[in-house]
Amino acid sequence: MTTYSGVTHRKVQVQSNFERYAFLFMRLSGIALLILAVGHMIVQHILNDVHSLTLQYVADQWSSWGWKVYDMLLLFIALPHGINGLRNVLEDYVHGESAVKTLNTVMAIFLIVSLLAAGFAIASF
Amino acid sequence: MQAQLRIRRYNPEKDSAGYWGEYTLNDVNSNDSVLDLLHRVKWEIDGTLSLRRSCAHGVCGSDAMRINGANMLACKTLVSRLGDGDSIKIQIEPILGLKVIKDLIVDMEPFMDHYKSVMPYFINDDPPPEDGRERLQSQEDRARFDDTTKCILCAACTTSCPSFWANDKYVGPAAVVNAHRFIFDSRDKAPEKRLAVVGDTFGVWRCRTNFNCTNACPREIEITKAIAEVKNVLYTGEI
Repeated sequence: MTTYSGVTHRKVQVQSNFERYAFLFMRLSGIALLILAVGHMIVQHILNDVHSLTLQYVADQWSSWGWKVYDMLLLFIALPHGINGLRNVLEDYVHGESAVKTLNTVMAIFLIVSLLAAGFAIASF
Repeated sequence: MQAQLRIRRYNPEKDSAGYWGEYTLNDVNSNDSVLDLLHRVKWEIDGTLSLRRSCAHGVCGSDAMRINGANMLACKTLVSRLGDGDSIKIQIEPILGLKVIKDLIVDMEPFMDHYKSVMPYFINDDPPPEDGRERLQSQEDRARFDDTTKCILCAACTTSCPSFWANDKYVGPAAVVNAHRFIFDSRDKAPEKRLAVVGDTFGVWRCRTNFNCTNACPREIEITKAIAEVKNVLYTGEI
């Protein structure tokens, strides 16, 4: 007689789509931002006075590759995280297919231009 | 105890918009249900009040409504749960996110369409066991989807979900719960078909995990947990 016990684990083929990756990105980038954004706040607003955040201060900081990498990570994680969050919020209010497409295109262009401009500024400082 | 009821009324043949009807009931007991009070309004004050109800014992799921701002079954909600004292105010509205047909009755078709989209029935084309009896599974396998078998399709969860209010293309918590019931059933052979529906753009990714559904469920199903388990399968590819 066959006995039945334990949990049966099965493998399944799962279709991927943009939302699946976007959802995963939001979770992982959220964890990274807990470290990066909180670290940024501590360094810039607690360890340093906000009044001392001059161009010279930024120049001194970005002369170090470590800070360049830190800020580059913050840029490339925080901005897409924020834009995707905005996309989710807007999709709760805007339902027309063409309106959603237009908004998403505008946000994607804004994201790419901002990442390129800010990334170039940090890298070339 | 006296109960002051504020009930959302709408008759499409007479009213251009909904309005609040106010009714006062005397000699209300704290162990009366909200459905009892609605019956008294309909039978003693205004026979035109329209509502759905069937079993009146929390099993059929017909009388989900928004009571004092939260989705509940009118038959399972006792006056004592809503307050005490000599007088009590109760506000009753139809559940949100579905078109109102009349008074407290909403059009359940969009909700049922989402339910049907996840194929809420057993799929297994394998020949039955040689003894001709049931397909067996272990107690552990059965326990994995025990919670989600309890759904009575009252729509209290889906119509408490802000994501569903915002966009009714979202399949909603109830559809995911019923997909979960079969996805996690070791005897079922079509989890991929259901995962394709709940993993689509308007599937589980619309869930913002705000737990409204879990709070609203009159069967106390851990809906947000079930949605998270489905998301996990969509990531790992393992049930």
